[in-house]
Amino acid sequence: MDFSEAADRISRKFSKSGQTVDQKKIEGKLRRLIEEFGVQPAEAERSVTNELNKEFNIPVMGAGGSAGSGGAGSGGTAEKKIADAAPGEWVTIEGKIVALAAPASPAIAQSGIIADDSGALRFVAWAKANAPAMTQGSWYRIESAVVDEFKGIASLKIHSGTTIKEIEEDRALMPATTSIGELHPGIGSIRAKVVQEWDASHERMLQSGLLGDETGTIKFVIWKEPGKESLAPGAVYNIFYAQVDEYNGRLSLNLNTAMVMQEEGDIAVNGGEAAVSGAIVHVAPGSGIIKRCPVEGCNRALSRQNYCPVHEIQLKFVYDMRIKGWLDDGEKTHSVLLQRDVVESLTGISLDAAKEIAENNPLGMDEVFLQMRDKVLGRYITCHGREIDNRVLVNKCEPVVFESEKHTALLNRAGGAS
Amino acid sequence: MSTPAHEMGRKDASFEREPARRVFASELRECRYQFKDGEDEKSPTFVLLPTGERCNRVFIVGTLTEKQRQGDQNMFYRGRVVDPTGTFFIMAGSYQPEAMQQLAKIETPAFVAVIGKPSLYRKDEASSPMISIRVESINVVDKETRDLWVLDTAEHTLDRIEAFAAGTGVDVVKAKEQYPTIDPVTYRKIAYDALAQVKI
Repeated sequence: MDFSEAADRISRKFSKSGQTVDQKKIEGKLRRLIEEFGVQPAEAERSVTNELNKEFNIPVMGAGGSAGSGGAGSGGTAEKKIADAAPGEWVTIEGKIVALAAPASPAIAQSGIIADDSGALRFVAWAKANAPAMTQGSWYRIESAVVDEFKGIASLKIHSGTTIKEIEEDRALMPATTSIGELHPGIGSIRAKVVQEWDASHERMLQSGLLGDETGTIKFVIWKEPGKESLAPGAVYNIFYAQVDEYNGRLSLNLNTAMVMQEEGDIAVNGGEAAVSGAIVHVAPGSGIIKRCPVEGCNRALSRQNYCPVHEIQLKFVYDMRIKGWLDDGEKTHSVLLQRDVVESLTGISLDAAKEIAENNPLGMDEVFLQMRDKVLGRYITCHGREIDNRVLVNKCEPVVFESEKHTALLNRAGGAS
Repeated sequence: MSTPAHEMGRKDASFEREPARRVFASELRECRYQFKDGEDEKSPTFVLLPTGERCNRVFIVGTLTEKQRQGDQNMFYRGRVVDPTGTFFIMAGSYQPEAMQQLAKIETPAFVAVIGKPSLYRKDEASSPMISIRVESINVVDKETRDLWVLDTAEHTLDRIEAFAAGTGVDVVKAKEQYPTIDPVTYRKIAYDALAQVKI
């Protein structure tokens, strides 16, 4: 049986949309389907066409497949600036490879970030595409690649129909840095200060923490990889081409792809400082005096039976105090967490006094909770602190005091227009 | 009883606790319209304030003048909390054990702060609806807190009156339908009188 006619039909279909396909390969696939698997010839042709559509990322239109391939590329492979490339488009771009990352799967030959002066984009070259390996720092013209979306981030797919040409270009590329407040999922460049370093929550994690600038803060993570170095807490860095991920509506920076350069100077970080005033309308269970796990780096609150969810029974616990509650201004309710020294100054109960009550009063720790609740519930206070996940971590607070100026102003406002 | 709401808050980042509105007794007692936001069994219930704002929860500060225990099987406490403009009726039953115990403990008269949910009820078919506040928490406070509350409540009341005059909000439109005979401007006078009672 001769498969060349069908193979020819298929390859012509794809060459119309700028793809080059190996006709011998198609013939082989058809032969295998028809002779080895007893597939009907029409069905085999359809199946091979669809397979190629998938490979080239062409959406399948209709069942026939005949209308499909050409249509998808009808927008052409417009020559675009990287910043203008939108998911679902076929594009031709010119850019510089600014980062290469270790492929996450054997199906991927190369992945990294390509940039031009308009912006940057993640790219993935499939192993099946047989594309030439690109080198970091060089410029390339990439024709007929597809922009799609992976985990909400646009990325450029290099498939077997894509042509890659290295071009002579020796421009220095200065990425436009944005403020942390302006970052959005994709690739971002910032100048920021390491404001916090957190304990690694995963053995593959090299470092995680918080970066901040004048507009806000963002979580960052660096995964263990040869050649990766940790950032120094307190230092300021220029970070180019970091990957901005979104998870549960919050952004975080993955620095593995990024170019990170330490620099002189300091940044006055806006740590999400919030000040909220209102009445304490609820004091939640878990407030008062608590016991914490003494294991280094753990510090979890223990249950009443001195049980730590990770380190089990801990009899040499450490006492701490906190108040968890809701602060309400009449329009919005803020979740607040008052830390120990704030609790001490607000309630007038010192940790030592609370310990004394917890150990000697028949109600124990409950008595501390009740005494604290009686001191703060229904009171007007102003809390200062950082707001994270809708919760204000309060590091300073003071009672609201009666201001006669405000009283007078309100009297005028109420009496004025009547 | 409020712990489930908290657990929910922790798991579901979009959870927002209903704010506790600041409203004087003379306005709250005029509420006649109660509605649910959504079809769900757990959808919050609101009373509509005559100044045009929905209200699922209130924060009030006043003087607890009376309290009494009622019922045998289903014991509950009733109380009266007085502000410069009138009286709030509060109650705490066995579904709010913590609030009930707190209320039982407080000696009248005392300045109290009350956080609770307002709801409309009728003694019988023929009588007009009454509004009472089911207490979530109650605590003894000082006079300064009461004075701060009067300022706070006057400010919010004036804000609502202004928003009502602008007349565009969903709840404002609803309030105009539901309370055609009430002119919210009367609450401006009430706010003034309340403020005037606060002695410096």
